[in-house]
Amino acid sequence: MRIQDIRKMFPALSQTVYGKPLVYFDNAATSQRPETVVRKMESLALGTNANIHRAVHKLAADATEEYESTRDAVKEYINAATREEIVFTSGTTASINLVAFSYGEVFVGEGDEIIVSEAEHHSNIVPWQMLCERKHATLKVLGVDDEGHLKTQELESLITERTKLVAVTHISNVLGIVNPVKDIVKVCHSKGCPVLVDGAQGIVHEEVDVQDLDCDFYAFSGHKIYAATGTGVLYGKKKWLDQMVPYQGGGEMIHSVSFSGTTYAPLPGKFEAGTQNINAVPTLKPAIEFLKLLRDSELVDGCKDVEDCLGRSFASLRMTRGIKVFGVPRGTEGKAPIYSFVVEGAHHEDLALILDKMGIAVRSGQMCAEPLMDRFGVTGMIRVSLAPYNTVEEVEYFAEALTKAINMLV
Amino acid sequence: MLTLEEAKKAVVEDFSMYDEWLDKYEYLIELGKNLEPYPEEDKTDDKLIKGCQSRVWLDSKVEEGKVFFKADSDAIITKGIISLLISVYSGRTPEEIADDDFGFISEIGLKENLSPTRANGLVSMIEKIKELARESIGSKASTDDVLTAEDAKTLAPLYDNVVLALKQVYDPEIPVNIYDLGLIYELIINKKHEAFIKMTFTAPTCPMADEVLAEVKASVADVPGITACEVELTFEPPWDQSMLSEEARLELGLD
Repeated sequence: MRIQDIRKMFPALSQTVYGKPLVYFDNAATSQRPETVVRKMESLALGTNANIHRAVHKLAADATEEYESTRDAVKEYINAATREEIVFTSGTTASINLVAFSYGEVFVGEGDEIIVSEAEHHSNIVPWQMLCERKHATLKVLGVDDEGHLKTQELESLITERTKLVAVTHISNVLGIVNPVKDIVKVCHSKGCPVLVDGAQGIVHEEVDVQDLDCDFYAFSGHKIYAATGTGVLYGKKKWLDQMVPYQGGGEMIHSVSFSGTTYAPLPGKFEAGTQNINAVPTLKPAIEFLKLLRDSELVDGCKDVEDCLGRSFASLRMTRGIKVFGVPRGTEGKAPIYSFVVEGAHHEDLALILDKMGIAVRSGQMCAEPLMDRFGVTGMIRVSLAPYNTVEEVEYFAEALTKAINMLV
Repeated sequence: MLTLEEAKKAVVEDFSMYDEWLDKYEYLIELGKNLEPYPEEDKTDDKLIKGCQSRVWLDSKVEEGKVFFKADSDAIITKGIISLLISVYSGRTPEEIADDDFGFISEIGLKENLSPTRANGLVSMIEKIKELARESIGSKASTDDVLTAEDAKTLAPLYDNVVLALKQVYDPEIPVNIYDLGLIYELIINKKHEAFIKMTFTAPTCPMADEVLAEVKASVADVPGITACEVELTFEPPWDQSMLSEEARLELGLD
């Protein structure tokens, strides 16, 4: 399979903006959606639309089947031990907030500690800050070095007997470096501390096996892996989910309700209160099928060519135009095609505005990672993030456009 | 100086020369580069505009009833945009600015063509300009506030003292002070004890105008109890001899 075959599956990619062909390089924010996903959304909304689990009628049975078979598909895709360990949420942020509350309520008390890394997205910082404030606990930070690597060697000494959880990103949305989460989990577990992995970017670029990683929680969003927006997953080991308190109360999450007390539904219903995103969650099925297609070796080679081409462009612009790219991998370390950079003398916003007018969509700003921006002493960066539908021609056009933009500004 | 409408029209015309968006950006970059330097020490948080991806500082002062802006940004296109706004709105009365609909922004296509985050930045800039203008009306408008008997009692001696101060300032050509010459058209002291003076000159071409205005401002501001003084110059209605006080007439031997 070739990149052109993939492109054909995405109607949005053939549009023009300001009269120029769209070059969509903001995939780390959200990916475009393939036709299979859009068709699924359509058939769910126009056909199989009924509330799930309770009613006995045919449509409700079909909708329930669509929803629950998605749980099986996700379970199989990330190799969870049981389907009860897959909780549907509205996205990574909601998944992390769920853990911060439900795990925090039970396991975190005054004087305890939570550890996050300096490279985290705000969504993997703020819920923990809120928890620490609520429980009078302390938030500790694992730093990153000048190249953007987590200082994992410092992790062991950072963990104390009061550390109740380590929350770390699989792949930083700014740096793109694949963090050694399996090793991190080993270190944490040796100290008796569970680990939550923010997989918002990890699920996109890695073949995630939660049992192999042995992490305790893995959180990700649907919209970055080509599924509908407003979908997300929390994987949690059953032993934790069983002990955690419900996050929200309401319909579906109960076993029996009376005014003298309520008992909760078994997993995963306990964490899925209220009507779920029934018309969107099943889009995870075609999305997962699409992810599997991407493992095609010819396509993988094609994508590698695109990344290499971008790497060469950055290398030449580094020499001639003072570009600095953050998150440079070393040795055999994995790097997702997420490239954040700054240009000496040119503001990130100006660059992004000019690129936009040339039809190129990139992200600029703090990218929801203000502490990381502070770490590198910048007010913001430009980010280019690729998907398997991006071509060498697009990268070449981008390099030309970027050079032109820099010349206008500097 | 162009009127507000003329200034807006000129900007729209300038922009209409460029078909390509990149050329419009080139133009804004040029404007940004030529913007008057903004003092580093004034880059404080209260001058920072919220809602912009880049940082924008905007400051204003009121002189002779007109609002003057100065601004800066760390991003050059944004700096160009704020420079454009300043060039149109600086030197206008607060009422003109506060009542304006800023519609020419969409005429030059800035609002539609900037991304939503950026458009928000533009909206925030416009809001800030209006806010600063309203604030300066606000301080004047408070002169309309209902005065209590207590207020009137404390203000009365201030009026006397301000008049005395004005009588210390002399017209450079006629040996009579500006108060008795009838050059003071309006004197208002608000509850905050800020003085607002509207005055004129015997002729619009007075070469010493700036010095006299500065002297008025300084001597009124020096009056104990007065916290600030704004002087506005007007030639409407034009001054004539009938505005002289009795004392001035005697002094000049006109009667």
